[in-house]
Amino acid sequence: MQVNTQEIIISFTLNGEKVVKNVQPNWTLLDLLRKKLRVRSPKEGCLRGDCGACTVLLNGKPVNSCLVLAPKVDGATIVTVEGLKGDPVFEALKETFAEKGAVQCGFCTPGMILSAKYLLDRKKNPTQEEIEEAIEGNLCRCTGYIKIVEAIKEAAKKLI
Amino acid sequence: MTETREVTAERGPFFFKRELGKEEGEYKLVGREIERPDAFSKIMGLTKFTADRLTEDVCFGKIVRSKYPHALIKRVIVDEALQIKGVLAVITAKDVPGENQIGYAIPDQPLLADKKVRYIGEPIAIVVAENEYAAEKGVEAVKVEYDPLPAVFDPLEALKPEAPKVHEKGNVALTTIIRKGDVEKGFKEADVVVENIYYTQRQEHAYLEPEAAIAYPEGDGIRVVLCTQSPFLVREFVSRVTGYSQSKIKVIGAPAGGAFGGKDDMGPMVASKAALAAIITKKPVAIILDKEETFVASNKRHPAIIRYKSGATKDGKLTAVEIEIIYETGAYANRSPFVLWRATVHSAGPYVVPNAKVDGKSVYTNKVFSGSFRGFGDPQIHFAAEQQMDELAEKLGIDPVEFRLRNVLKEGTRTVCNQLLEESVGMEETLKKVAEAANWKKKREELKKYRKGSKVRGIGVACAYHGISTSRGVPDWSAAAVLLNEDGTITYRSTITRLGQGSLIGHAKIVAEILDIPLEWVHIEEPDTSASPNARPTHGSRGLMTGGTAAADAALKLRRTLIKLASELLNCDEKNVKLENGKAFCALDPSNKIEFSELAKETYQRGYQPAYYGFYFVPRRYFDPETGLGVAYCVYTYIANIVEVEVDKETGEVKVLEAYTGADVGKAIDPGLIEGQMQGALAQGIGYAISEEVAFNDGKIINPNYTDYIIPTVKDVPRKVKVVIIEKPYSSTAFGAKGVAEAALIPTAPAIANAVAHATGVRVRNLPLTKEKVCFKLKEGKK
Amino acid sequence: MKLIPPFTYYKPETIEEAISLLDEFKEAKVIAGGTDLIPLIRDGKYTPQKMVDISFIDELNFVREEGGYIKIGAATTHSDILNSKILNEKTNVLVQAVKNLGSPQIRNLGTIGGNLCNASPAADTAPPLLVLEAELLIQGSKGERRIPVKDFFLGPGKTILKRNEILREIHIPSEVGKMKGVFLKLGRREAHTLSIVCTAVLLKADTEFEDIRIALGAVAPIPIRAKETESYLRGKEVTEKKIDEGTEIVKKEVKPITDVRGTKEYRTEMSKVFVKRAINKALKGEVECK
Ligand SMILES: Cc1cc2nc3c(=O)[nH]c(=O)nc-3n(C[C@H](O)[C@H](O)[C@H](O)COP(=O)(O)OP(=O)(O)OC[C@H]3O[C@@H](n4cnc5c(N)ncnc54)[C@H](O)[C@@H]3O)c2cc1C
Ligand code: FES
Ligand code: FES
Repeated sequence: MQVNTQEIIISFTLNGEKVVKNVQPNWTLLDLLRKKLRVRSPKEGCLRGDCGACTVLLNGKPVNSCLVLAPKVDGATIVTVEGLKGDPVFEALKETFAEKGAVQCGFCTPGMILSAKYLLDRKKNPTQEEIEEAIEGNLCRCTGYIKIVEAIKEAAKKLI
Repeated sequence: MTETREVTAERGPFFFKRELGKEEGEYKLVGREIERPDAFSKIMGLTKFTADRLTEDVCFGKIVRSKYPHALIKRVIVDEALQIKGVLAVITAKDVPGENQIGYAIPDQPLLADKKVRYIGEPIAIVVAENEYAAEKGVEAVKVEYDPLPAVFDPLEALKPEAPKVHEKGNVALTTIIRKGDVEKGFKEADVVVENIYYTQRQEHAYLEPEAAIAYPEGDGIRVVLCTQSPFLVREFVSRVTGYSQSKIKVIGAPAGGAFGGKDDMGPMVASKAALAAIITKKPVAIILDKEETFVASNKRHPAIIRYKSGATKDGKLTAVEIEIIYETGAYANRSPFVLWRATVHSAGPYVVPNAKVDGKSVYTNKVFSGSFRGFGDPQIHFAAEQQMDELAEKLGIDPVEFRLRNVLKEGTRTVCNQLLEESVGMEETLKKVAEAANWKKKREELKKYRKGSKVRGIGVACAYHGISTSRGVPDWSAAAVLLNEDGTITYRSTITRLGQGSLIGHAKIVAEILDIPLEWVHIEEPDTSASPNARPTHGSRGLMTGGTAAADAALKLRRTLIKLASELLNCDEKNVKLENGKAFCALDPSNKIEFSELAKETYQRGYQPAYYGFYFVPRRYFDPETGLGVAYCVYTYIANIVEVEVDKETGEVKVLEAYTGADVGKAIDPGLIEGQMQGALAQGIGYAISEEVAFNDGKIINPNYTDYIIPTVKDVPRKVKVVIIEKPYSSTAFGAKGVAEAALIPTAPAIANAVAHATGVRVRNLPLTKEKVCFKLKEGKK
Repeated sequence: MKLIPPFTYYKPETIEEAISLLDEFKEAKVIAGGTDLIPLIRDGKYTPQKMVDISFIDELNFVREEGGYIKIGAATTHSDILNSKILNEKTNVLVQAVKNLGSPQIRNLGTIGGNLCNASPAADTAPPLLVLEAELLIQGSKGERRIPVKDFFLGPGKTILKRNEILREIHIPSEVGKMKGVFLKLGRREAHTLSIVCTAVLLKADTEFEDIRIALGAVAPIPIRAKETESYLRGKEVTEKKIDEGTEIVKKEVKPITDVRGTKEYRTEMSKVFVKRAINKALKGEVECK
């Protein structure tokens, strides 16, 4: 059993690279990424799990990094869009999001793309419902979602 | 009444065709959808929003906010806070070196409350500390002694003589008026008259990125970086509050994670606080609101109470309207003079109404102040106007689209302000095209019969119009700079800001089109008050129309220079010089050509001017505020929405199944960007119509988060949205463009209410149409 | 909104370690997914001093069938429940509830144990577990105890858990698999939102209601069973009229409050509507999930 007082050391894989870091238990994963590791694609929106702008992949699954305490990622794998260069699903999404005009202010975009990637990794040919369910936790106030859904559909097509 | 309409220069489509020597179909960028050049950096998270620019050396400012809706401030005790390790300063009203005043149009709002607080959440002090934790502790340690006063939360209560006074001069912030024709006579001529009261709620912008500003002391001046809609307005306020001359203040407009009007009002307020904190502590200071603060203390869409009476003849012609408008401005007037006037001059909807009597009041209450929000007063008034239209149509037995078509504004007709519309009036065409796209006639018949369990369906229409730029005679202009670099690339500067809407991309397209160079050669600089000309605010759907026209002005000047230079270099008559695909050549001998980069070099070598300031002054107008008559806006965007809804009669759930939204945008510089704006506005309009409402308990907001302030998710927007673009070019702007950003939101709520009425036979005149409200309304209706 | 204040963090790897930490420190608190706790902390409603993170304890994370029960470890995430083959096959009323709980991101973090222990009247997993008549296995330093889920909740945010106990497992009797279950939820939007009313119905019926169990959430201080409605319907013929009469009783059984999410009156009305809908849906057998 580890009894951790104030600072604790954690190690985890971030975008394919090993990170060993002293963290304070009250930092969230979002704080750790943005403020300490300068990974800025997860955004600070609501800080309570509602908006999804802070979405990252924790052990492969999308989570709200604002709700995850930093020590919890000890031993985990974290992926953000910064680490997805060359990933075919991500590259497809990147292209179709740009082509389809699915990006306006861009604040929701990195999180949205991670949710979409998680879907397309598991479902080759997702239905409208599956796409909607995959991104229901990513609020977007700019686009009305129409072009985002189109972009995800288009990316799925490209990947077949 | 005299009408003056001074046209600065004709700049519409014909002018550009002539000037560029091209037919519209030959344009390479204007009118074509392009891939946004900023998409990749946003996808990769590389775009630097304000908070992304925080560095370790930046201190934090946190705000001490009022706990009372209405109270006198007896004392603000800061000693204890100052003892906290890491706290650098506690700034109160008395520390403001300049004017402690941030009222936008009326000087009624202090930056930091000194004598009195007027809403829960009002800023009283700023605690500056080395880190966020110390700042938070500091905020908790500041003791404010209050003398609570009776508060007033309801605008109708506030209008009573015995109501507590929010401001000394009383609770009416301002009034507006229109007197046109003779309404009594108008109603006498009417065969049907409809009179109702409409209520609309407070809406929160709910952009994902909270307001943020970072101020850096620099030399004897200050630099402020923030998400804003108007860097120069920010500079003006920072100057006023700090006492620094405007030349010593540099404001950088960072990209915003959504703005919708909210950051227009909040930008100067947040920036002024950060600047003040930086000046006092001599350290860089960031003020970043958390989402709860945004909900509690940022401006909201004005709630409205509208009494609306309208009459029409048997043959479906409007005869008169009599309208009383109450817009609740909350604790401060902020933009109310502009919002209320906008509502007033649009109060009859996009229709010809010969007789009108309109009275508007903006009323103070002890709630957070209202202000700019996409649509700027027009969604509320159209919610009323457009339901009136449906009710009249119903009474007359005329189809709602047909009834509207009999009354729509056209070229040569006059608005409710008696403004003669001379050009670019696409209401009729827009409505017709949208109705056609929606298959209106057929659906209107068919859906009546639809019934599945407790679910019924209906289809509804609403139109709107929306004046672009500033209202009434208020002068408006914009500016931009185009600089030709020695390698042939272009540096483009404007202070229209990046809110996600893509106005600057439109500007760049205009510049590239005029010079006929690839878009990638135009580099858009970050909006910077020290380097960019004043393009004025990014609001009122003016970012592309006015800013883009200024860009065109600058680009045209450069174009003329380059043509002159090329003529010299190519030994070819100016009128035969062509600019095409980054080259200049002589039309008589296309092989006689010169590359753009060469041209650029020669510009410098031969002493030609390489940089131009572009300017656009919106046509001047005359408006009489005593009668409300005159030219309210230089030009209008016309909009029609049709929505198909399904109503669950048992639960009251309203679901928008399909939506058709069309607008006459003058000229679509980029149809893709327009579609994006229309779809986004529609979704925000659906939220406004169905689920969004800032809720209060004794002046305290009880849903200050996305948990309980319900904005649409992907599952709450229709799967099918069709955008219809109509182009009735405007002769005064680049290529004929008008504005579009606000358009689709305006008629969304009334279209939904009309569709619900069609589906259920029950009218809801009170926004939002929540499940609960509709459910009980339907029960009442049955009785 | 507040910053998360400093606290000490513990990461036990076994249940015993977790319990002994809770025993040792009066101020210690369990955290699982944190999806309830972190927002509470940010709202200033709870100030942590010592946090015992149970999400690393393997023994708390499983779904398996043994000894006539489907057993779920308390720290199993909603996503794992959603994807559980056993639950999808045997009794998917819980799966239906979890499908509409929060968002994918929340479901990947939030746990069933957290949902129950947080004791929100609107906890979506409670009504299904109430109709499934699940039992909760609670572990303390002095051993374990089993209690029916219906006895677990005391009020909003309150359960019978002692400070130094943890919820270890949820046991669902396997035989309920033969009944048809439906979960329905009314929120203020289509997805990613809290319930105004939610209901779970489990029934066995052909021409008459052989057995029926009804539970509701968000309409009383704790999630409730609608016992009177159940007993009215039990043994009755399956007709529209009977269902309508029966579900009218629900309105008397609920004790909702008015809050920002909905009024008492609306919740009352909707309780009936949703129970009725759930019954009809179960009768039609149109229950789909994954
Ligand atoms: C954006 C958002 C949306 C949500 N939507 C929904 C929804 O639709 N429906 C719904 O029901 N809920 C919803 N929730 C609430 C929450 O996600 C769930 O209740 C979740 O299941 C809580 O689990 P957790 O593991 O995250 O709990 P935690 O936050 O870790 O813990 C919650 C409480 O339970 C205690 N606890 C946790 N596990 C144990 C244990 N094994 N033994 C003893 N005590 C324990 C903790 O001490 C704490 O008091 C939502 C939350 C958010 C942030
Ligand atoms: S910031 Fe994490 S969900 Fe909004
Ligand atoms: S693009 Fe702005 S929030 Fe989605």
